[in-house]
Amino acid sequence: MDRSAFSGRDLRKIYVTGETEVHALRGVDFDIRKGEILVLLGPSGSGKSTLLNIVGGLDRPTSGTLHYDQIELTALDDRDLTRFRRAHIGFIFQFYNLIPSLTAQENVRLVTDIATNPMDPADALELVGLADRRHHYPAQLSGGEQQRVAVARAIAKQPGVLLCDEPTGALDSKTGVRVLETLEAANRELDTTLLIITHNAGIAAMADRVFHFLDGKIARIESNTHRIHPSEITW
Amino acid sequence: MKALDLKLMRDLWRMRGQALAIAVVLAAASATFILSMGVHRSLFDTRELYYSENNFGDVFASMTRAPRSVIDQVAKIEGVQQAQGSILQYAILDFPDRVEAVRALLQSVDERGRDRINLVTLKSGRMPALNQPGEVVVDEPFALANAVGPGDEFDAIIYGRKQRLRVVGIGLAPNYVNALAPGDIVPDDTRFGVFWMGEGALEAATDRTEAINALSVKLQRGASEADVIRAIDRILEPYGGTGAYGRDNHPSHVFLESELDQLEAMVRIFPPVFLLVATFLVYVVLGRMILTQRSLIGLFKAFGYSDAAVVWHYLKFAIAIAILATILGTIAGIWMARSLTELYARHYHFPILRFNLAPSVFLGSGLLAVASAAIGAVSGVWSAARLVPAVAMSPPPPPIYRAGAVERIGRKAGFTAIGHMIVRHIARWPTRSAMTVGGVALSMGLLFSTLQFIDSSKFMLESYFFRSQQQDISVTFTEARNEDVLYELAQMPGVLRVEPVRGLSVEMSNRNRVERTALEAVPPDAKLIARIDQAGNAIDMPPGGLMLSRQLADQLDVEPGENVYVKMLGGRRTEAMLTVGAMVDEFIGNRAYASPSTIEVLARDGAPAGAAMLLIDASKRADILRDLKAMPTVLSIGDRDLEMARFEQMIDENINTMIVFYIGFASAIAVGVVYNSARILFSERAHELATLRVLGYHRFEVAVVLIGEIALLVVASLPVGLFTGYWLAQLMLRMFGSDLFRLPFAPSNATYAESATVVLFAAMLTAIVVARRVMRLDMVRVLKARD
Repeated sequence: MDRSAFSGRDLRKIYVTGETEVHALRGVDFDIRKGEILVLLGPSGSGKSTLLNIVGGLDRPTSGTLHYDQIELTALDDRDLTRFRRAHIGFIFQFYNLIPSLTAQENVRLVTDIATNPMDPADALELVGLADRRHHYPAQLSGGEQQRVAVARAIAKQPGVLLCDEPTGALDSKTGVRVLETLEAANRELDTTLLIITHNAGIAAMADRVFHFLDGKIARIESNTHRIHPSEITW
Repeated sequence: MKALDLKLMRDLWRMRGQALAIAVVLAAASATFILSMGVHRSLFDTRELYYSENNFGDVFASMTRAPRSVIDQVAKIEGVQQAQGSILQYAILDFPDRVEAVRALLQSVDERGRDRINLVTLKSGRMPALNQPGEVVVDEPFALANAVGPGDEFDAIIYGRKQRLRVVGIGLAPNYVNALAPGDIVPDDTRFGVFWMGEGALEAATDRTEAINALSVKLQRGASEADVIRAIDRILEPYGGTGAYGRDNHPSHVFLESELDQLEAMVRIFPPVFLLVATFLVYVVLGRMILTQRSLIGLFKAFGYSDAAVVWHYLKFAIAIAILATILGTIAGIWMARSLTELYARHYHFPILRFNLAPSVFLGSGLLAVASAAIGAVSGVWSAARLVPAVAMSPPPPPIYRAGAVERIGRKAGFTAIGHMIVRHIARWPTRSAMTVGGVALSMGLLFSTLQFIDSSKFMLESYFFRSQQQDISVTFTEARNEDVLYELAQMPGVLRVEPVRGLSVEMSNRNRVERTALEAVPPDAKLIARIDQAGNAIDMPPGGLMLSRQLADQLDVEPGENVYVKMLGGRRTEAMLTVGAMVDEFIGNRAYASPSTIEVLARDGAPAGAAMLLIDASKRADILRDLKAMPTVLSIGDRDLEMARFEQMIDENINTMIVFYIGFASAIAVGVVYNSARILFSERAHELATLRVLGYHRFEVAVVLIGEIALLVVASLPVGLFTGYWLAQLMLRMFGSDLFRLPFAPSNATYAESATVVLFAAMLTAIVVARRVMRLDMVRVLKARD
């Protein structure tokens, strides 16, 4: 059985702003397996976020091919990319991106309303340990709680892939660990592929593999023989 | 250039769409202001200049016949500066190819050019020469309408005798700005004109050697008009004087005044409302626009710029927009004011034009534009500048939403998450939402109240012409006749019904209030003329008393049951105390009615027919008109349909010309309000929308969040807008009443629909623009912007 989630070949991304060209990705090849936890490390501007956005169907490469399962993402138009995101991808951002006018549960419903095989929103919040706060608005929740709502929102549709861009960047270590535990649980229990961008090298220890980015390329791939539990991470 | 100023320039360029939209709204208000002030001031000044250059009289009198010597007597009255006598004589013109009768009022002029009052301005040709009996100068509107020019000749019946007239010039005079034929309420230049004829020639033609039947007087500065009028009346009493009157009773002046009053009412009403709406809009829009620069403001403060420096920076941004608006508005305003003034000057037949736009008007409009922009800017900057820099720089905390009343409704209605987003956003920012609703409603109200003017004038015309006037033709006699003339008319083939009308010129007074008016009587069984109230119901004539139009009753300050003192002007000059039996709400005119027996008590001449109303067989129309034309007793013939058309044309030219501009501006403002609200809404929610896109919502589904909110706000603003419009319309109509007519509030369904449609159209246009923005929304960039 093919366990490949993503396979990218010679992906390049050039941003043109005015007269300057920024080469965000300079020919990246990779294969990501289903159910894998992958951490993307590297300095700012090394191409991590660009890759995450392309993998998540938020952006398109300038050249190269990208497959998810049997789908050639690089051939999809906007409408189909939206469908792809809707069906397969969950996003988690550094600043949560919750809708302030919706309660925790409604933020989750935002996703379950349009997903094909979603969990019950209450169950998703239960998973992140926020069942009792489901009728609270974002403004009534702490940062960690908001991020857990974002996680619940991301996992509620039971996505194949969770893409996390600095998920703990705005959180203290204790709260950060809780969030990571939730993500790890999703990976374990739902077999969700996890891509995590971080500046925190400690988090790399919970990954199956670590992509080290430098100047728009994957400079090095590091495989962990043993994944540690988030609670063991040294922050 | 300082870096901050460079930023200002680039910001202006970057936000040029919104900046321009704000500028256009402000410019529309400025242009309305300049246009209105310019047109009104110019016309008013032009009239004053015309009056003074042509020495328009202050007091006027007419009499049956008086020796020339009365002129000197009148000139000696204290307060009189100049007095001038003349002969006025109606004549029937023989235009063989015209079915209807064409008439002229002949006015004598001194052939030696010694006239000092009511001077004629020659547009072409020359004045009548001495000892050239047939020479006349024709008033310009008549000449234009009938294609008559110097050198043309035609026959006229003057004083019962046929005489050849020769046109030697085309002219205009201030006492005939509007030449009203007897019995007419609107000038008809095709059938009635004023001819100036040499004094000697007219004396000869009317057997009035060394006699006059009209007087014009110029008063000394500070003289009492009332005293002079009393003195003139005493002098003219033996000569059949019909009562001297001032300019405020001079038909041409009153007519012009009434039209200028209407313009002035528009000038008073529209620009302030437009400016108010624009200020409000700019306040809302600019304030919110600047709030989106919150983190930058924090940055400036972190650099060490003072609050005042930051406020000044954004104030300059607002002022730049205001200056752009003022330039746009001034150019548009001057251009439109000039062309509109020219249009009006032609409509009013002014021989001169003084286009007058005081610098204060521009200064005023510029200051208003800057002030409204500044208020908006300062309110926006201030809330951001008050923050500690660190707080201002970080993204604003998530706004606090709480479950409220809307919440319970939403839950019951089973809203989707998107539905909640829409409704809660509105409920979370009630002031902001209310302001949007208010802005849209105000612009819609503006549009509604402007549009309804056209309905109102139509309704008034319909009411007057179709309900209260059922005749096809009205015939005014040279003097009141007895019943014989009615039988004569009834005998004409094709005449189906004849009803007499008797009108008397009277002066009514109650305590110190005095009004000149026409007192009319029709037989109790009259079917062709009905007096109807504003609801359109016929009102019966109370036996033995007077029925006054409400306007007249207000002027005299009388109520039904009270008495007024009625003095007949001319004729037997009978005086009587009469009781007001009823009041009638009429839209046109300012009249009083009485039963024929009451009139007979005053007139005592056994002649109930001053005019006759005819119902005719349409197929015999041409024959009837020809026969009437041949009747020497007929002074003028009115055609109801033509009159209505002329009235409509007059309203069209006077009011609707201006209204069309206002409708355009009101629409622009409506579009501007909706568009700007949506644009700001978009920039405020871009982040949320991008999040939705990331979560897998399609572009269309995301656009629903915005469009849904705009739609809800717009729908909510419709009833508010109609209410505002109703209120504004009432206010405007009340301010609009003139001596000539009053406008009823009678908006057609089309007006409701049109004002709603413009707003909905603006909303749809906006929806399309917003949807396109959502389509182009760059998820990555928007989300990055905060990370």
